[in-house]
Order: sequence, then C-alpha cells, then structure tokens
Amino acid sequence: MLALCTIWQVKCLDVKRHQTLAVLNPFKAAEHDMMQDTDLAGPLVFCLAFGGSLMLCGKLQFGYIYGIGVVGCMAMYFLLNMMSLTGVSVGCVVSVLGYCLLPMVILSSSAVLLSLKGMIGIVLTVLAVVWCSFSSSKLFVSALSMENQQPLVAYPCGLVYGVFALLTVF
Amino acid sequence: MADRGQSWPTQQDESAIIDLGDVNDRDDGSDYETDMSRGPTDGSGKGSLEEDVRKRLTDNVTQMVWNAGTQQAKRAWSLYGNIDILRPYFNVEPHEVRTRLLQSFLPRMPSSEKQRAYRELYGPLMVVFTLIALLLFQMKAAEHKVEEGTLMGTAFGVCFTYWWGTAALMWFLSYVCNAHITSIQLLSLLGYGLAGHCVVILLGTLIHTSHDHLFFYLLWAVFGGLSTLKMVGVILSRTHGKSQRLILSCTIAAIHLLFLLYLHFAYHQIVEDLSRVLDSDPVVKQPEVVNNVRTVSKGEI
Repeated sequence: MLALCTIWQVKCLDVKRHQTLAVLNPFKAAEHDMMQDTDLAGPLVFCLAFGGSLMLCGKLQFGYIYGIGVVGCMAMYFLLNMMSLTGVSVGCVVSVLGYCLLPMVILSSSAVLLSLKGMIGIVLTVLAVVWCSFSSSKLFVSALSMENQQPLVAYPCGLVYGVFALLTVF
Repeated sequence: MADRGQSWPTQQDESAIIDLGDVNDRDDGSDYETDMSRGPTDGSGKGSLEEDVRKRLTDNVTQMVWNAGTQQAKRAWSLYGNIDILRPYFNVEPHEVRTRLLQSFLPRMPSSEKQRAYRELYGPLMVVFTLIALLLFQMKAAEHKVEEGTLMGTAFGVCFTYWWGTAALMWFLSYVCNAHITSIQLLSLLGYGLAGHCVVILLGTLIHTSHDHLFFYLLWAVFGGLSTLKMVGVILSRTHGKSQRLILSCTIAAIHLLFLLYLHFAYHQIVEDLSRVLDSDPVVKQPEVVNNVRTVSKGEI
C-alpha cells in the first residue's frame, strides 16, 4: 500500500515536472497526451505564488486572481468547446491556464525589485504575456489537434494573461 | 336503503354486533328521508358513478395535457438550449478574421447589390473582450473606483449590454422595416464595428492631452465614423424604402457614436481631471507661504 502511494506520488510529481518544463520552454513541441492527466495542484500553487509575490509588492489581490481566473477559465472553456471537434474538459482548461501562469509569477516577483511602469517594465510585461499565451495555446492546440488555429486560441489566452498583467503593473 | 357500504365492512370486520347509535350518528335523518332527498335508490348510485367517471376523465385529461406540455418544453430546450447550435459560427480561419477586421474600417458605397454580412461570432466576441480589457486598462490607469461593484463587472456589463442590447433593438427595427438581415448578422456587424472603439480607446489612453479633447474628437470622427459608415452601408444595401433606410441608419449611427462618447467621458475624463488638479499652481505655492510665516515669527522673537 505504501509502495503504491509512493509510486502514485512520484507519477504526480513527474507529471507536474513535465508540464512545468513544457511551459518554461515554449518552443519545444508538446506531446499530444500531455494534458490527459489534468492536475489542479500545480495551478493552485502557481496562483498562490502569484498572489504571494503581489503581496510582497504591497498588493492584496487574491480575490481578483480568483475572480479573473474563474471568468477566464469559463470563457476559454466555452470558446474551445465551440472551436474544437472533440471538446475539452474544465479540468484541462484550468490545468493549462494555471500552469502557463508561471511566467506571470516570474514577472510579479521581478516587480519586487524594479518598477514595471518604466520602459523596461513594459517590455518585460509584454514578453511575459506573449510567453504565457504562446505556451498555453501550444498546449491547447496539441491536445485538441487545432494546429492551424493556434493564433485564434492564443489571442484570448493573451487577453486573460493581459488582465493578470494589469494586476501586476497597476 | 341508504348506502352504508363504508361503515358496514368495518363493523363487520371488527364485530358482529351492530351499534345502532353509531349508525344513526352518521345521518341527520332516517334512511328513508335520505333516500327521498336523493331520489330513487338506483339514481343515487348512478349519480356517484357519473361523478366518478367525470373525476377520472378530468384527471386523465390533466395528465395528458401536462405530459404533452412537458414533451414540448423538452423538445424546445433540446433544440434551442443546446449550445452546439453556435458551433458553426466559430468555425473560422485566422486570415478570415484578419480580413474581416480590416474590412470593418472600409465602407463601401451602397448599391443595388447586397453587401455581405458575415455570420460569425468568434471575431466579434474577441473584439468585445478586447474592449473589456482596454476599459480595465483605462480604469486602472485612471485609478477609477467603482462603488458597489468591481471594475471587471462594470466593464463586462457595459460592453455586453451594448452589444446584445443594440443587436436586439436593431433586430426589432429591422423586423419592422422589413430589412433582410438576421440576428446573427447584426451581432457580427456590431461586434466588428466595435473595433473602431478599441482603437480610439487604446490611443486615447496611451496619449494624454491636457484638457483638450480635439485629439479624441479627431479619432472619434475617423475611426468611429469609418466603422459606422461600414455598418450603415451594409444595412442600407439590405433595406428597401427611404423612410425605413433612414430609421435604421440613423439609429445605428447614433447609438454607435454616442457609445464611444460615453466610454470616453465616463472613464477617460477622470484622467484629465486628475492631471488638471495635480498640476494646478495654488497647491504648489502653499508650502512657501507657511515657510514665510515661520520666518517672520522667528524674526520677531
């Protein structure tokens, strides 16, 4: 029993590692069945880390993160179900959007050291938003076989992460 | 004999003794009087049979009507409540969306030929979401505070109410004026028309002009005007009759242009007011007056 639990924990950690690496390297091709194991623990950790790093900047925005996250996930779930032939589950959408929040966590952590309202901050913000939307659209199109529609999936992802960026900057 | 079938089986089940006191308590008169009031003995049984049949018939008819209504409601829900009916309107390619966005700024002269109105919801939905994001950006930049609400709720409410509300109004007017345009085409047309609003709000937020709205009015006339002319051209090509065309074109032009004015003066104006208040001279000079007073008081001492 203990061995089974250990194997299960190792498998979960392995899944988390693979998905995190897929986000950190957006130019690497994603496996088709990577998002079969939907995981909510990783997105939860990243959301808490995002809120925590904003708290270090003097902003208590956990409610906004939760609200924007819920609205963004619902909108993406509706949109992807309309655009894809196979459909997508809510868990998959939450998992992808949550893991791809990692660059935004890095941006909010950098906001502790430097101001994001200057030219460097604007460039970093734009880069983070593009990184997040590119990673999330890559994972969605690989899971739903929508390669020719990646720009159409990337744009709404960019809008969601753009709103998160507004929380970070202002 | 009166019908005492209800009491007899009970008494017979319990005991062979019949208590006449119980029997007499159930009636206010004798059996014979009861029989007289109800008529002949065979008529009362027939009357109760008719009532029973009527009651059963009523129950059956009610049940049938209820079942038929439930079936109709379920059929209507499966037909119209199924979200899959919207799938064809999201089947687009990236180059199609790009082309339609650019064409929303290129009006064509109305002619006898019908101008194409697309049946698509992906592009308009993205334009509306972009407008929401830009409004949030504008409100965050202006530190706009919304009492009894949230910034996101306000932006969502404003944009979706305009999109759906105006589409509903134009659909009603199109029905009255007999214009050949469907509700999906109106949603698509109005959605793509909001691209002009997005451009104006983005440029207006990035480029601040101190208490001078000339730049905004210029953008309003150019981008707002182009998108309005595009929508008006499509509607005019699909409507017959001068008065009908006038009603539809004036309504959509007025609502579209006034909405942009509302977005500017409700949210962006605050930035101008704040910058004017912070840059005014009397606020800057006050500390010098205080210092002068302290210097004079020290001199006297």
